Amino acid sequence: MNSILVLLIAAAALIVGYGVYARRIDRNVVQPDGKKATPAKMYMDGVDFTPASRNVLFGYQFKSIAALGPITGPIIAVQWGWFPAMLWIILGTFFIGWVQDYGAMMMGVRRDGDSLGALSYKLVSPRARTILMIFLYFYLLLIMGSFGNAVGKTLMTNPKVPLGMFIVVLMGILAGQMTYKWKKDIILTTVVTVVLTFVGIWLSTTKPVAAFFNGLYGLPESPVWFLGNTQAQVIGTLLVIVFCYLGSVMPIWSFAQPINYISFWIVSLGILGGILGMIIWRPGMGDFPAFTKFTTASGPLWPMLFVTIACGAISGWHSLVSTSGTARQLEAETDALPVGGGAMFLEMIFATVAFLTATAAFGGFQGYQDAGGAGKALAVFSGGLANFLSHIGIPKEFGTAYGSVFLTIMALTIMQLCVRFMRVASAELAGDKFPAMKNIHIGTIVALLLTLVFVWVIPWLTIWSAFGAANQLMAGLALMLIALWAMSEGRKHTWALYPAAFMIVTTIAALLYLAYTNFAKLSSPDITTQAAIAAVLVGLIAVVLVVAAAFLVYDGWKALRKPQPKKAPAKV
Amino acid sequence: MPEEQRESKLKQLGRSVKEFLYGMAGHDMTRFALKTRGSMEHLFILITMGDLLGIPILPPYYSLRLLPYVVPQISTWKRRMLRERDLTDALA
Repeated sequence: MNSILVLLIAAAALIVGYGVYARRIDRNVVQPDGKKATPAKMYMDGVDFTPASRNVLFGYQFKSIAALGPITGPIIAVQWGWFPAMLWIILGTFFIGWVQDYGAMMMGVRRDGDSLGALSYKLVSPRARTILMIFLYFYLLLIMGSFGNAVGKTLMTNPKVPLGMFIVVLMGILAGQMTYKWKKDIILTTVVTVVLTFVGIWLSTTKPVAAFFNGLYGLPESPVWFLGNTQAQVIGTLLVIVFCYLGSVMPIWSFAQPINYISFWIVSLGILGGILGMIIWRPGMGDFPAFTKFTTASGPLWPMLFVTIACGAISGWHSLVSTSGTARQLEAETDALPVGGGAMFLEMIFATVAFLTATAAFGGFQGYQDAGGAGKALAVFSGGLANFLSHIGIPKEFGTAYGSVFLTIMALTIMQLCVRFMRVASAELAGDKFPAMKNIHIGTIVALLLTLVFVWVIPWLTIWSAFGAANQLMAGLALMLIALWAMSEGRKHTWALYPAAFMIVTTIAALLYLAYTNFAKLSSPDITTQAAIAAVLVGLIAVVLVVAAAFLVYDGWKALRKPQPKKAPAKV
Repeated sequence: MPEEQRESKLKQLGRSVKEFLYGMAGHDMTRFALKTRGSMEHLFILITMGDLLGIPILPPYYSLRLLPYVVPQISTWKRRMLRERDLTDALA
């Protein structure tokens, strides 16, 4: 199939999904009132609750939800063939993804801007909030492990990447100084730092720099150093850990914020260039099979495909952003659909582009496998993007380094946010018993040591599946909350309840599959110590998540059966 | 379509694109600046109104002189302080 045709199918899904289905639910079921005061106006505190225009929030929401997930998931999932992956991206967004993002936002708006924790306390049960917090900690740990694994063990081990990454960090720090200390114009700051970043990425592809990192990493045959990890992988992951540590303990204005700002330009220009190159090139999928086999290295198609592609179809992360972030800034209830639903449909297009870098950019299945396949999904993306960029005159070597740097920075911006959250969470949850956990350095180091164990010990595809399952379970629970909220307002709730049931059943099945396969590995006589630790870790986390979900679903089920207020039936 | 209408639609589109880019690139920074200002206001109010909480930081004479600067902040400060929070707020 031709790449342009795939993009047109995705665009058609966007038009029908957003223009017909989403609008219908919005207009006939949820019935937003443009004149009603939103929490942003009612509780305006000049900080969290501050109204912003729908265009600003659309950009904010999209930027907050589109990270590494919509890129990595589709590239791994095409190991089942392009057809199931494409179908899940489109149908997942059409029936489930936007429902969660938009529903969570509207629920936040109608419930006084409450966060997900407070909503679960009020709509499900008091213990639901505590369980959700424990669940969240493991979920974020899995994000850290999977993103850290992808970046530290794949991207940073390419000798043409680390210098570009250092330059991005330095330019971020410079941008922070120019903006906040020297009070320079933002346009000047942007031009100087972004241009210098591109120069840095180009420098990282030069021979002396590559030779230096080859020597540092012990390449081309990097020796195994620790727990089966090569010298390059150990150094690469340690660099990631140092970056996350600085991101967590340094003032946000001087490190995390300006780096995020620079990364926005680097990422956006790369994506625009890639799409332009693809439109000019118009590649086909060649011999890429529509369907390969039911069971691949990641497991059986059901349930594993549905947790492999998370963002891009549906992701629990979005419900956190929609409730605690965007819902508190909506100027009018009628903005929720374009902001929440619109950003999700745009992310579907983004995931489709990532899907095409795996299926179309290498001319077929063999090319995808040679580029790294599912095991090196991020290398596939940077190689595919370089192939697209080469059609607008950008050399492939530079394009690959550029793609790798932008993926690295995308992952690291999310990781530093997660470490901050984990630091705060450990201080809150364990600070009374262990006062040392209230120290920002100790809280951060504990979170990063746990991350390091996950990154060094657990194989990439296993940790991605575990992260995907936790993420999708989070989405299922958020959908359950949306259904409960719709019921509490006396509205039709099946539009959220059926997706919730599908997501919860699928993700619990995926977690049970992960627990079973990992514990089964322990009975193998040839198992190494590293593989045994990984199997126990993944198996235990899967069991903990299933138990937590079981409590939440049980309490949710009880709440669903409670008598609800009567209201005139809504038309659909 | 009349020329004027077309121009105003183009202007509107330009403004929308500009706002979208700002939302992606700079809105987070603005929010962070607002959070910093909010934290500063908390300290300012604690210094001037500490007596109410039993923390006599400033002598009442100076508190009263600073009162006109505190009054405009009180309503938003009250909302921030009284709002129920949980850990997920740290992600926003």
